Amino acid sequence: MAPPLFLQTIEDTGLSTWLRESESPFAFYFILLFHTFGLALLVGANMIVDLRLLGFARGIPLAPLKRLFVIMWTGFAINAVTGILLVIAYPTKSLTNIDFYIKLALIGFAVWVMQRLQSQVFGEASLSKEAMTARGVALAKWSLVLWFGAITAGRLLAYTYKYLTYP
Amino acid sequence: MNFVQLHLLLNHFPIIGTLVGLGLLFISLSGKNDDLRRASLIIFLAMALLSIPTFFSGPGAEGAIKKLPGVSDELIERHHGAAMLALLFMEITGALALAALWQSREMPRPARWNRSMSAVLLFSIVTVGLMARVGNTGGDIRHPEIAPRKDGVTEELIISKIIHVFEPSPTKFAELMTASKWWWAFMMDLHFVGLVLLIGTVGILDLRVLGFARQIPLDPLHRLLPFAMAGFALNLVTGVLAFIGMDQYYTYDWAFWIKMLAIMLLGLNVAAFYLTGAFESVERMGAGDDAPPLAKFIAATSLFLWFAVITLGRYIQSFSDTISVHK
Repeated sequence: MAPPLFLQTIEDTGLSTWLRESESPFAFYFILLFHTFGLALLVGANMIVDLRLLGFARGIPLAPLKRLFVIMWTGFAINAVTGILLVIAYPTKSLTNIDFYIKLALIGFAVWVMQRLQSQVFGEASLSKEAMTARGVALAKWSLVLWFGAITAGRLLAYTYKYLTYP
Repeated sequence: MNFVQLHLLLNHFPIIGTLVGLGLLFISLSGKNDDLRRASLIIFLAMALLSIPTFFSGPGAEGAIKKLPGVSDELIERHHGAAMLALLFMEITGALALAALWQSREMPRPARWNRSMSAVLLFSIVTVGLMARVGNTGGDIRHPEIAPRKDGVTEELIISKIIHVFEPSPTKFAELMTASKWWWAFMMDLHFVGLVLLIGTVGILDLRVLGFARQIPLDPLHRLLPFAMAGFALNLVTGVLAFIGMDQYYTYDWAFWIKMLAIMLLGLNVAAFYLTGAFESVERMGAGDDAPPLAKFIAATSLFLWFAVITLGRYIQSFSDTISVHK
């Protein structure tokens, strides 16, 4: 089964071609670099919250960790934008690769967990510390598993694709 | 400066530095001198860090002299294998020294000797021995005055022959690393995991020192640093293994070397943080407290350098083959 033609249409656009083929340091590698920054911020900050909820560094008061969600959502925004640009650069490579969809699914679940952490654990000002932690433990575990799963799925993209560009 | 000069300059650190560290450790055993003991641990840590670019400068030096008359490939391979074994023990010694330093923060004085220190002592002695072997085999490559036999292989002591049993074959090791793309993918994946562990802990700590999220007291964030150490260890191992797999690819790449320089500067930055009193000035920072300027400068440098490391790592591929080889 041949890949759908719309992939070739995207690849033929000026933007896609420039991202892929330009020698400029601001092309593909720059986008990929910011994708790495975004994931470092997103998963790094989320990891601190998760570790705290799982009982590490108990000296950190829970409530102020709410500030870290700013870093997380910033990282997510950077990765959403750079991610779209990366797909535009190599639409066939990403969209015909099942690993890419696995990655998107893992990210989807991880962001859902992140949302629940923010609203259920950190959202209610009246919650006692014990109540916050109790709600957070399961979410924290899933958060770590899902994010590191997403990183693995992302890293494997370079090794699992079938087509680099439209055949 | 060429690779030969770089290699000859750097190799002094792992060979002589470790000997100095061991000497200080022995001296500290006799007296009640905590400072000397701490100094020896810091030296082992610094030498472990400097051993990395030393090892990495080898292939470039090899490339420069390989084709010269009188240079034996077999002797180079022997030196290379010896270096790999010594590097392993050097990094283990460094990790043990770091663990001992970290633990000693918690301990009330004058507690000073425990299992950690015994481990450091044992591994540092082995390391010094292996480093002597590396220096010896390195000298054999280009010092005909100390090589008694004409066929290129010098007389070996019994101890050298025993050590040689444990030295890996560089060619076989390289082939092993690049045999499977899934192994390579796995190593690169672990490299990203390590990166996240580092940025998550060190990055947030730096941001707090700079004034972000002031309601978080500093000490508990600082206690998460073992995760950063685990991340660094992961990346050190995967990085060295990747280099061993494809040393020609990394050797002649500007981005790779500047990345190594950034990592060495980070080592200096960490030393500055703990040895200048900057750490003491922020250790007890509670909610709402502001850090003094020196601590903020060190934190900003740390953040900048770690993001530089990520950037340079990402651009390794673009800059491959940018250092010209003088044939």
